[in-house]
Amino acid sequence: MNKFSRIAATVSTVAIAACVATSVMAADIFVIGGKPDDPFWSRVKKGAEDAGVVAEAQGGSVTWLGPQNYDNLGPDAAELIRQAIDQGADAIVGPDWVPEAMDPAFEAVVAAGIPLVIYNAGGIEAADRLGAMNYVGAVDYKSGYAGGEYLGSAGHKNGACVNTLPGAANIEAFCNGFNDGIKAAGGTGSVLQLPATAFGDATAVAQAVRAHLLQNPDIDAMFAIGDGDTNATVSGISQAGKAGKVHVCGMNFNDSILNNIQQGTQDCAIDQQGYQQGFFAVSILNNFVNYGVTIPTREILTGPGVIDASNVDLVIEGVKAGAR
Amino acid sequence: MSALGSAIRRPEAAAVISLIGIIAFYAIFGGVDLGKLFGAASWVNFAANLGIVAIPVGLLMISGQLDISIGAMIPAGSMTVAILSGYYELPIVVGMLGALGLGVLVGLVNGILTVRTTVPSLIITLGTLVAMQGVVLAGAKLLTGAASVPLAAPEWAKFLFGRLIGNSHQVAIVWWLLFAAVLGFVVHRTKYGNWLFAMGGDRESARNAGIPVDRMTIGLFVLSATSAAFVGMCGAILFNSAQVSGGMNYIFNSVVCVVVGGVLLTGGYGSVIGIFIGTLTFAIVNQGIYFTDIDRNWANLIIGVTLLIAVAMNGTFREFALSLGPRKIKKGGQANV
Amino acid sequence: MSRQSDSRSFPVSLGSIARRPEAGSLVGLVIVYTFFAILGGAVFIGAPGWSSWLNIAAEVGIVALPVGLLMIAGELDISVGSVIPASSMTAAIVSGHYELPAVVGIVAALGVGLLVGFVNGYLVVRTRIPSLIVTIGTMFAVMGLTLGFAVLISGSTSVFLVPDPVTKTVLGAFIGGMFNVSMFWWAGFAVAIFYLLHVSPIGNWIFAVGGDRESAHNAGIPVKWLTVSLYMLSGFAAAFVGVLQLMTYQSAQVAAGQSFIFNSIMCVVIGGVLLTGGAGSVIGIVIGTMTFAIVNQGIFFSGLDPNVGSLIIGALLLGAVLSNDTFRKLALNYATKKS
Repeated sequence: MNKFSRIAATVSTVAIAACVATSVMAADIFVIGGKPDDPFWSRVKKGAEDAGVVAEAQGGSVTWLGPQNYDNLGPDAAELIRQAIDQGADAIVGPDWVPEAMDPAFEAVVAAGIPLVIYNAGGIEAADRLGAMNYVGAVDYKSGYAGGEYLGSAGHKNGACVNTLPGAANIEAFCNGFNDGIKAAGGTGSVLQLPATAFGDATAVAQAVRAHLLQNPDIDAMFAIGDGDTNATVSGISQAGKAGKVHVCGMNFNDSILNNIQQGTQDCAIDQQGYQQGFFAVSILNNFVNYGVTIPTREILTGPGVIDASNVDLVIEGVKAGAR
Repeated sequence: MSALGSAIRRPEAAAVISLIGIIAFYAIFGGVDLGKLFGAASWVNFAANLGIVAIPVGLLMISGQLDISIGAMIPAGSMTVAILSGYYELPIVVGMLGALGLGVLVGLVNGILTVRTTVPSLIITLGTLVAMQGVVLAGAKLLTGAASVPLAAPEWAKFLFGRLIGNSHQVAIVWWLLFAAVLGFVVHRTKYGNWLFAMGGDRESARNAGIPVDRMTIGLFVLSATSAAFVGMCGAILFNSAQVSGGMNYIFNSVVCVVVGGVLLTGGYGSVIGIFIGTLTFAIVNQGIYFTDIDRNWANLIIGVTLLIAVAMNGTFREFALSLGPRKIKKGGQANV
Repeated sequence: MSRQSDSRSFPVSLGSIARRPEAGSLVGLVIVYTFFAILGGAVFIGAPGWSSWLNIAAEVGIVALPVGLLMIAGELDISVGSVIPASSMTAAIVSGHYELPAVVGIVAALGVGLLVGFVNGYLVVRTRIPSLIVTIGTMFAVMGLTLGFAVLISGSTSVFLVPDPVTKTVLGAFIGGMFNVSMFWWAGFAVAIFYLLHVSPIGNWIFAVGGDRESAHNAGIPVKWLTVSLYMLSGFAAAFVGVLQLMTYQSAQVAAGQSFIFNSIMCVVIGGVLLTGGAGSVIGIVIGTMTFAIVNQGIFFSGLDPNVGSLIIGALLLGAVLSNDTFRKLALNYATKKS
């Protein structure tokens, strides 16, 4: 036993050493993403880091770059992209949140001959425009559309999208998609815009939702752009005395969202499966840099997946297993 | 020994020590690659944008005032140029003048209210901060119908205000250096500098000595609001778009830079070079952490601790200076009166 | 002329009302409420409208009261913005992640608030560093510690907690489905701090310290002890709000609470307390908080662009500042004329 494990250890060490020696260049991959303290992004980060275990075994590394906050998203993220170039990245993964501000930085990545994958935001159009290898992620518009369609076909015809981050392209796309989705199902949609300072403040979001519902009693469907906002929206609805009358779908999920769905206070959650985004974007680049292999499928969709009462127990199993 | 003594008596002494301390800390505990760090543009870009605002904010603090409305003036400057020249397609010069003009206007309001009332400038500029946030957000929505406005600046404007030198370094770095040099000269070599320190030291006796305290104060507020609008304007030209939110970080970040740079909030003491070094220190703590093995999550802790240590050092050095050479205080603090 | 004679003939004269620190803020409250009542209509005037802005007012109000006391004593506390998430994260980790009883988590969370307050107060009295700088430093440090430890312990930046029914009822329930219990806690805080400032001898100490620190010290007032206590009180109040938020929304996020920094100062200033120290009242702070909350919530009932709200608050703030100044000058003139 002892002997065997020693041999195994030796073999694996040799194997790793061989790997390091043979790979022409170990991939130092830089991933630009959200704030490290954002629950959704910490899952993307985990996916990227899990894929990074392979990169590290091959002598490379994965480095996460995120802005301090979302106040100045476009320029800050453009800055992070340039920082990745500065630090000698062999490959870069980044979201195209604010194209006007970030495209020049992505162009600099491509101009420097660094392989690039766009993920999370921007879609395949951004990848094509910028000359990136691929796009990994959900399409925001389609995610919003799925939410609008779900609520609309369930018979809720008057929808409002809660936008806590006006001005960010992907958030606007969620709301446009939601409104189009509910229209396609025969309803109407509108947008409730909050000041950017309300972002992350649950009480401010809940009270704004509540006031909006009291002032617009016809609304019977709402869509929120993140899990924290969804929780606050659910609370705002119940405070308005509209629990069970106004139906909610929201982007992303966490334990309390799953709990909401189980208890019936929330109808559905649209999952873009952030873990997959980080994991696949990094894997694609790592394999390309080390072995030159590619994925011919363009636009790798990780969402939208709809979680509702019918499949929520399965998702909870997945959470327990650490896969979601 | 006396050389060391006089070096330590300068207001920027603590700033230099903080800077060296942070780099050493990152080098020892973070395994930072110094070559990579110094070659990188990211933290220098960060420092330049912050530094252009931090210097006038620091001068205000030397004169005993605060300006937190800069947090709204940065998006205001960026939005004004984008609305005028992007949305209404007026020549870029009009947009730029509009942005800077707005800075002058808000600076005048801040300055006049501070001079005319007994209310502390922190409260007054908190009022203009919130009011300008509302004006910018509601105005952009009203005029353009969107919260984010694109802007395509002509080549020459991009060359001067929104270029990336060597494809990585923002041209704002040049403006920052220029700004620091000019204000450094004014503060440490002209009578205005002496007035400034005198005002911060004792406002009443400065007034009695015939210094135009009110005009100086208003001028400083105009300078800080306009610099903030300038930073916003450069950002809009560089990134081809204006975003309405943002800038709030600059409020506390600029105060931290100034204080780490050796300026006393009580007024009358500080230097432009100190503020400059304080900004460098802050940028390295904040952005340089990406170059280390230290988890980004701890950056704010390091900033807080650095700030507290730096102020404590400033206090200690100042007392040391006072006890060492009472006749020479003016040398460090008041720029050879 | 006739007004002059009026003000002499009545015990409660116009002049003495105008001289009260909360006079201007009461006028502001009435104007703002009338404005939004007209625009917002029946819904805003009814119970849903009231509960809507009272829920907002309660949370910021609990923080604004001790921040106001500090400002009366001539000090600032910026760190409240990071104590709120630090406290809700502490309680969520202790009671949610480690599954200890809710009481343990709450005590730990409030302890964090008291500790940060103690550090602030200690640094302010022991060094001569202005409190603005000290509390900016502790704000950054606490923010970093919260994020760092949350990720280190729970591996995540948001931690969940399902409170037991008793805790939920006491700290996070909605009465009638709309009135958050936080407003009763706010009322409790207001009464306690009213007693502290306007009835107990400590109140006079606070005014004296704000008026002139040196002479207060010479008069035998324990200035250092008082300052440290006030900082511990504001840390405690901020931590309490963190616990309330956790029990209401059942999850703690690392990034929250930043808006409380300036919001609490604004409430206090609209309420007629100036940073110059030595003047102010608890009733004024409560009125200021209500005004602030009415503008913030009323805007959603009014159909105006939500951002116009910021503009109104800014204008109110400047108005409060100017009217306070005018009233004060008036009062001083009147006093000198009299003597």
